[in-house]
Amino acid sequence: MIYEIRHITTYKYDSPVAAAACSLRLLPRSDDGQQTLDSGLEITPRPADACERRDFFGNRVTAVRIDTPHRELRIAALSRVSVRRPSTPAPGLTPAWEAIRAAAPAVRSLESTSPAHFLFPSRQVALHAPATEWAAASFAHGRPILEAASDLMARINGDFRYQKEATEVSTTVPEAFAARKGVCQDFAHVMISALRGLGLPAAYVSGYIRTQPPPGKARLVGADASHAWVSVWCGPEFGWLGLDPTNNQHVGDDHIVVASGRDYADVSPIDGVFVGSGAHQLNVSVDVRPEGE
Amino acid sequence: MAGERPGARAGGGRSASPRRLEEWSAGYAPLPGVADEFVAPDGAVRPHWRKFMAGLARIEPDEMAQRFAAADRRIREMGISYRVHGETNERSWPLERLPLVISSDDWRDISAGIEQRARLNEALLADVYGPGRLVSEGALPAAAVAGSPDYLASMGGVKPPGGRYLRFFAADVGRGPDGRWWVLGDRAQAPSGAGYALENRLVVSGALPQLYRDMNAERLAPFFRDFRAGLTQAAERSSPRICLLTPGPYSQTYFEQAYLARYLGFLLVEGDDLVVREGKVFVRTIAGLKRADVIWRRVDADWCDPLELNAASRIGVPGLMEAVRTGAVAIANMPGAGLLESRALLGFAPALCQRLLGERLLLPNTATWWCGQPDERRHVIDRLDDMVIAGAFGETLPGSRDRRSILGSDLDPQQRAAMVKTLEMRGMDYVGQEVVRLSTMPVWRNGKLEPRPFVLRVYAAATPDGWRVMPGGFCRVSDAADARAISMGGGVSSADVWIAGDRPADMSTLLPARESVRVVRLLGNLPSRAADNLFWLGRYLERAEATCRIVRCLCARAVDLDAPGSGARAAVEKLQRLLVAWGAAPAEATDAQPGEIAAVALAGTEHYGSAASISSMARRSASVIRERLSQDVGRLVSALEETLSRPIANPGSELEAIERAEAALRTIAALSGLVNENVNRVAGWSFLDMGRRVERALNTCRFARTFGDRDATTENLDVLLDLIDSQITYRSRYVVGAALAAVRDMALLDPYNPRSVGFQVARIDEHLASLPALRPDGMLEPPRRLSIDLNAALSTQDAENLDQSQILALEQRVGGLADAISARYFLQGGAGRAEKPTGFA
Repeated sequence: MIYEIRHITTYKYDSPVAAAACSLRLLPRSDDGQQTLDSGLEITPRPADACERRDFFGNRVTAVRIDTPHRELRIAALSRVSVRRPSTPAPGLTPAWEAIRAAAPAVRSLESTSPAHFLFPSRQVALHAPATEWAAASFAHGRPILEAASDLMARINGDFRYQKEATEVSTTVPEAFAARKGVCQDFAHVMISALRGLGLPAAYVSGYIRTQPPPGKARLVGADASHAWVSVWCGPEFGWLGLDPTNNQHVGDDHIVVASGRDYADVSPIDGVFVGSGAHQLNVSVDVRPEGE
Repeated sequence: MAGERPGARAGGGRSASPRRLEEWSAGYAPLPGVADEFVAPDGAVRPHWRKFMAGLARIEPDEMAQRFAAADRRIREMGISYRVHGETNERSWPLERLPLVISSDDWRDISAGIEQRARLNEALLADVYGPGRLVSEGALPAAAVAGSPDYLASMGGVKPPGGRYLRFFAADVGRGPDGRWWVLGDRAQAPSGAGYALENRLVVSGALPQLYRDMNAERLAPFFRDFRAGLTQAAERSSPRICLLTPGPYSQTYFEQAYLARYLGFLLVEGDDLVVREGKVFVRTIAGLKRADVIWRRVDADWCDPLELNAASRIGVPGLMEAVRTGAVAIANMPGAGLLESRALLGFAPALCQRLLGERLLLPNTATWWCGQPDERRHVIDRLDDMVIAGAFGETLPGSRDRRSILGSDLDPQQRAAMVKTLEMRGMDYVGQEVVRLSTMPVWRNGKLEPRPFVLRVYAAATPDGWRVMPGGFCRVSDAADARAISMGGGVSSADVWIAGDRPADMSTLLPARESVRVVRLLGNLPSRAADNLFWLGRYLERAEATCRIVRCLCARAVDLDAPGSGARAAVEKLQRLLVAWGAAPAEATDAQPGEIAAVALAGTEHYGSAASISSMARRSASVIRERLSQDVGRLVSALEETLSRPIANPGSELEAIERAEAALRTIAALSGLVNENVNRVAGWSFLDMGRRVERALNTCRFARTFGDRDATTENLDVLLDLIDSQITYRSRYVVGAALAAVRDMALLDPYNPRSVGFQVARIDEHLASLPALRPDGMLEPPRRLSIDLNAALSTQDAENLDQSQILALEQRVGGLADAISARYFLQGGAGRAEKPTGFA
């Protein structure tokens, strides 16, 4: 499936901003299951300086410096991505979760896909004993990792209420867990925290999900916005597998990955330092269109 | 220093000294099973301590008391201070009277061990952030590295500018019960304490100069000189600009940072002082952007760059990491070096030393088992009763708020089962360590020696000739008899550290007995932030002075309020309204008694405009630029705050208010004298002086509008002369009483009256002319345009014809000039805010 994605972010400032420096993670990466055919950024006012690099996790980061005073900043990311993921393995075939827990710290690698990076608390995902205890019910002795993790995903999806205004970008795991509600970012953070608490490597993935529901299927939550989900390490043989707790489904050809990391802080689409005072209004619009529709 | 020589005083030092020694050490009892520095295992006083004590005993008791008192005074005078985390006020430095004396044999072992450890750690970082063989070949588990919050994956593959990851390294050491020295932990993020060690040396060697010489204690200065040479070599340019990046005045060890910057001749900068342009790092100075070649950071790596690392950081430099990646700035230590501080790594040190250096580890470290590996975990669980359980990576035990560790033997069966379960679930977060009991050293308490546990921090610096270990260290002494971790705070003091030499130390520095401070002239360009603070210090001092004058004027007139025909009541009301408009007194105060208002306006801290509040702001401005002010200036600024904020004993007493205001005015006058006589005539002084003059011009305009309007009474004009301190000048020129045109001329225009607005503007204009210009085309910069214009306008005015609106316009032009100075020389538009503004649905 080929997707055309338009992700437009607009800031309007109450008083002029003299200068801005931003790190943008808006251009989708290519990996085993997807290929970015074409992508680009349109930024107004025109940046004095823009250069792209890969961060440690292999995400595309564009560092932008704007030194023209402005009251409005518009960042449009346009991309075409072809997605074809290998099908998810049968959960019953994956190793027992305790085997994963034993194998993870023993992996002899510090490369970006090494489970070692995803075992520990990170900037926005603290370990939270109540969340881990709650999750433990899904992890019966000897249960295959993907089966157990999928059960946890289903429980989060069932017990947590999706509610847009319930949380903020900075909401913590204990807050979201106590409230049992939030958005995709909160669902993913809670699930990651619970998995890591059990000694299992879990990563945070940002991206999109297709807008138009296929015939006969229900409309998916998180459409027309950026989306986020979880990737779980299932041992050296199966590697990283995506689970979307917001929609209770395994990540497949409906998901387009932009970036992945330890939590939201690693993949935040726009980080910036602005010189100026006063408040701003933010507007984000996302359009994901399967080609030919 | 005659008192140190035997028999120099009555009392017969020679015969008394052995008895004194006896008295001091009687009852000195080291704890059983703990090594002691003073007494060897066989119960005899160790030879180097015997020599030290014999020297000390030759000093007469009176003399000793005097010297200790002088040392205490010196600490206060130098302003040595530190801050306990979470406190706003700094504490005075607790320093032991006696140094820790270490024998040269012991020191050889320690020094060789620390030098080796520095090399080992450099090699470890070079592998982890380079080829990664230790991990891929199984010598070091990936999770033992990645678990450290100070591990910066993004630094993988980045070549450190200047070729080194580590340039300043420290390790905490202590003597174990077996008599050997042990490494307790590594410090590689931004080791603190070396500057305090230097201060301690200055104070203690100054108090005991003869003894210091006799013990042949090694000097510290060469170590710092070599460290500086190492940093200089790291830069691309031959005479690099080296910056010490501080987290700012609220950091626990800001005093030390300012001191080291001054001592080493580095530029003390905060994050806002630096800016990254086209991959290079620059300092914002009043002469524009100047290249920063080397950064010695005291900011933890995570806070160094809000754009790439912790977005919540307000103390970092956006884009710094990218500049490090491109090699445009050398940074000590490399971001990511902090991972060496993990306890998890301690268990691997012996094997890593063998593998990376092909050497046996010289100084053992605390035996440590990282529970992320199955065998080690089993070992820890099996021997839980003999173990301390601590966090593998952070300061505190995971899952606890502030506990550092747990003794296995302290756990009840239920807690024990929970601990075992935790270790099985997430063993990688924990280490088991053998229980360490620190050795003790003698401290001076109530005329006797007592044993106290200590930790010694030893420093190593990368120099052009390899690693060099500082001959001495930062010693922290706990007042608790049994201590395992000692950090500065309640019940902890520090001690100087002397390495007893067999031979006289370093012949060249033998003559001046004390450690001498290297002479450094104020270097480079004035950073914009420092200029900003100097300017505001000037403004605050002037404003405090004006407030005191108003109060004095008010109280003097209130005494004789209803004298017929004096018009005093009207003047008093105007003065009260001025204090309210000034923010020095609440609006409802206009009805209160003058004495009460005066008390609030002077000492009340609840109003931002009171003299006490203003003097606090002055003290804060001074404290962030203390490396640029003499200690006397700092002391007077503190004294001013103290004078003003002391509660008024009898609110309502005009007399007391006058006395207080005059005491403050005297301090301010002393400050002005000191500043004019003692502050270097470089750019810094210009900003301090311009701040005062801007504020004085503004205040004088305001006073002239209030008391010098067209139908001002004689009494009002008299008040005006008081407020601008020009009574005497006026009387010397005019025989008649206060007349409008003459008084106005004196307040606003008179170029010979040092209190007039015209005089202030002329001085500001001179300052601006002397400051560096940025425009290459030679055209005037905005502040100078304004000052020339204003100067000309004032020179050609006629006092008689000025009306209120013209005086107001004049005041506004002075304000505009102040704004132009800010815009040109200080940070433009405030500092950048870091934000993560978007979220995900």
